[in-house]
Amino acid sequence: MSIRHGLLALLSKGPRYGYQLRVEFEASTGATWPLNIGQVYTTLSRMERDGLVAPGGTDDQGRAVYTITEAGRDELGRWFSTPVDQAGRPRDELVIKVAMAVAMGGVDVQAVILAQRMAAMRTLQDLTRAKRAASGEPAERLVLDSLIFKAEAEQRWLDHCEAVLREKRS
Amino acid sequence: MTVVKLRDVTRVHGDVHALKGVSLDVARGELVAVMGPSGSGKSTLLNVAGGLDRPTSGSVTIGDTDVATVKDLSALRRREVGYVFQDLNLIPSLTAAENVMLPRELDGVRTGRARTEALDALTEVGVREVADRFPEELSGGQRQRVAIARALAGERRLLLADEPTGALDTATGDDIMRLLRERCDAGAAVLLVTHEPRYAAWADRVVYLRDGEIADAAAVRLESAR
Repeated sequence: MSIRHGLLALLSKGPRYGYQLRVEFEASTGATWPLNIGQVYTTLSRMERDGLVAPGGTDDQGRAVYTITEAGRDELGRWFSTPVDQAGRPRDELVIKVAMAVAMGGVDVQAVILAQRMAAMRTLQDLTRAKRAASGEPAERLVLDSLIFKAEAEQRWLDHCEAVLREKRS
Repeated sequence: MTVVKLRDVTRVHGDVHALKGVSLDVARGELVAVMGPSGSGKSTLLNVAGGLDRPTSGSVTIGDTDVATVKDLSALRRREVGYVFQDLNLIPSLTAAENVMLPRELDGVRTGRARTEALDALTEVGVREVADRFPEELSGGQRQRVAIARALAGERRLLLADEPTGALDTATGDDIMRLLRERCDAGAAVLLVTHEPRYAAWADRVVYLRDGEIADAAAVRLESAR
């Protein structure tokens, strides 16, 4: 997840100070990925080193603000226009676990699948409650929907595992 | 307060054991979702819980009434139970309001009162303005709301829904679930059959059926329960 590009996107709307960036980042992603303030400052100083942002003096209350540079705007444009690489995802423990359970024999695969299914359902229930309680801001809603769709995809895959294994048995 | 109670219910069709000893309670204000692969007994469970079908053994209690003691199941159903199906069964030649009124009129309620109830129910589900339009003039989401209004009109507080989000897109499906959830929070008991995890997740409890038995149930964590 790119904190760097998220912060650049916020800075493209105007100069901001660190704490403000953290609050706005969390607001626009529905507080789904909490940021700590240390991450914000570490990221800002790396981006300053890379010439993507520049210190912009202090605001009227003496807080150090950052501005986006021309190179920063180019980088942000590149980010928005490039699809996210799907191959960079880490190995999926669930897939490995189910594959191993099937390959080994002697493991109750149905029980493995059911336990996962119930856990995934509880996650979905929590996400749905968060969505019901959400403010209705489209950005926040879409972030929660993304997590809901992912949890749903896992359920579908588990359905598929059960169906394939049932066919195998009969 | 329990609205529907199933105890060790079995249902045998010929030599097929559709349900093999299911126990389940749905209380006022509770939304329970039933999931499971096709052939797992979901629809049989719904039919038995709503008095559309009688169990082979075990007991079903709707409100205060043990279904086994009832001769005329259809009267009990009309009084206590509302249904929402995937194919909505709205009658094309009747307006939205008339569709909602129909089951009440069949039950002997006078036209004037049935219309008042129908308009109240349509208001509750947010489509009062389409009362005098015909089904074909409504969007899919509006039709589904009318079907839910029909299921809720009168005093019925048990709502059975079989894939009520049917062919709706996910945003409209979410609206329908939000509506069912609100009806629950207002005191209805809802038993929902769905194969869509995203809709099941609106429930307080999700029951997973496999081969006619409850394999497991996921409840909302206690600290977040109402």
